[in-house]
Amino acid sequence: MFDKILIANRGEIALRVLRACKELGIPTVAVHSTADADAMHVRFADESVCIGPPAAKDSYLNVPAILSACEITGADAVHPGYGFLSENARFAEILAEHGVQFIGPKAEHIRTMGDKIEAKRTARKLGIPVVPGSDGGIGSDQEAAKVANDIGFPVLIKASAGGGGRGMKVVRAAGELSTALSTARAEAKAAFGDDAVYIEKYLERPRHIEIQVLGDGKGKAIHLGERDCSLQRRHQKVWEEGPSPALNAGARDAIGETVAKAMRAIEYLGVGTVEFLYEDGKFYFIEMNTRIQVEHPVTEMITDIDLIFEQIRVAAGSELALKQGDVEFRGHSIECRINAENPVSFRPSPGIILHYHAPGGLGVRIDSAVYQGYTIPPYYDSLVGKLIVHGKTRTECLMRLKRALDEVVVDGIETTLPLFRALVREKDIIDGNYHIHWLEQFLARGGMET
Amino acid sequence: MAKSSKSPTSFVDHELIHELTRLLDDTGLTEIEIEQDGRRVRVARNTSTSAAPAAVRVEVAPSQPVPEIGPIDPAKHPGVVISPMVGTAYAAPEPGAKPFIDIGSKVKIGETLLIVEAMKTMNQIPAPRGGTVMQILFEDGQPVEFGEPLVIIE
Repeated sequence: MFDKILIANRGEIALRVLRACKELGIPTVAVHSTADADAMHVRFADESVCIGPPAAKDSYLNVPAILSACEITGADAVHPGYGFLSENARFAEILAEHGVQFIGPKAEHIRTMGDKIEAKRTARKLGIPVVPGSDGGIGSDQEAAKVANDIGFPVLIKASAGGGGRGMKVVRAAGELSTALSTARAEAKAAFGDDAVYIEKYLERPRHIEIQVLGDGKGKAIHLGERDCSLQRRHQKVWEEGPSPALNAGARDAIGETVAKAMRAIEYLGVGTVEFLYEDGKFYFIEMNTRIQVEHPVTEMITDIDLIFEQIRVAAGSELALKQGDVEFRGHSIECRINAENPVSFRPSPGIILHYHAPGGLGVRIDSAVYQGYTIPPYYDSLVGKLIVHGKTRTECLMRLKRALDEVVVDGIETTLPLFRALVREKDIIDGNYHIHWLEQFLARGGMET
Repeated sequence: MAKSSKSPTSFVDHELIHELTRLLDDTGLTEIEIEQDGRRVRVARNTSTSAAPAAVRVEVAPSQPVPEIGPIDPAKHPGVVISPMVGTAYAAPEPGAKPFIDIGSKVKIGETLLIVEAMKTMNQIPAPRGGTVMQILFEDGQPVEFGEPLVIIE
């Protein structure tokens, strides 16, 4: 087991990792920018090292500074959280070269899954169902037209180096294809430094269903069920729940086993999430995230398995002790991502939290690093915290969520709490009857103004 | 400085800290910092509602005593030189050699004050302005973080 873990992240996930380390009895090092000197996890960590000024590129993305911090503190492992360097294969390799263990997957898998075209090819080879589309990157407009005609409009142009919902364009008719292609390429080049694009069938009303996996890097891997993350705004997840209202046990076991089998075949190490679009009973692979995800608590609540513990254990070389048969799904869980944004315009609202009161009670969990008097810095994401509730049934879970949302107080900044208070009272949400466009349609028709 | 749970407890003057804590309560101040005999002690009241106890941080400054009592935060001194990187501070160009500077040294702009070693590369830290070295805030071989006050030049 590790002697000392350095947490190369900030905010709620840094606190989450710190909590797991403390429960495992592993000393912690919090690295932080000057803007995060008063962060909760920095105060709780055994040691802290300021690694740079506020800008992420000079601090949380500053590999030499993080390496130096490992050196002066003697940390023998780094947990990268999510975002920042968590899916940077080169960072994982550099750490290995310096005798520090990266708590995450093998660099080759980070690399394969980070390239969306390569990821899809790999998924297809491993027997995971994929969205029909071009076989690899699109070369010419003629090639694009042929693929689009083969799979049928509407189609989606996607950036190979994109991900997380960015770099995508819908094309509904052949006449628009050429223009959309050049725009997509230009945007991809600007945003990701790579203009490679590919084409997929565009699904009209799919759900976003993702499967959580865990592997020990030695051939053992299991799945931990699904999360339904269909409620998104601008491709950013807002509300996640598990199990999915759309799946039954049979469908879950089938897709879960397909994915787990693939992870065994590649000897995947660590946690990961295989994301699908689901429509008319069929699953279509879109991408795999080779890291811990923001919404991991949903899975933890229904399986009673601590995913960060498991990440640390397998990274330290333990074999996977959990067997698929050990995994049980109990009850239902919903997570709301509360952001420091205006709930109607979604304009960011950084600033001081004057009053803060977290909800409590049975089945209520808050994963947040804020406290009364804390200033949300303007340099990073706007996540205030995640409210996660659990209930024996989906109905009980919704009632508990409504109650917990009504208890939360965050004053001094604007937050998206009113959005969730509205959603939990919406018929479609209560019925579990929604898809990936539902939320934007709700907002567009003025759902927040009633 | 990389704050460590391994700070030697023999440096902690319990009586002094209790006295300062009483002063805090009596006066309603939120923070008191004093420096004497080369030691700096700061007692702060925790104003947040989190569970963290009131912070008591003891930093042992190097051997040159500054015989003043009163709140002095070196990071805010106008003549402070801070570390631009994470690493280990060395006072001399190599082990056993004469240190680059001493208290009272007169330095010109750009002159090397110390070395911060990061990942086996030695980085010379230059004086941002000319003047006289008033305080040296690090010890030879001490780990330093970004923004850590190293030297005060007036």
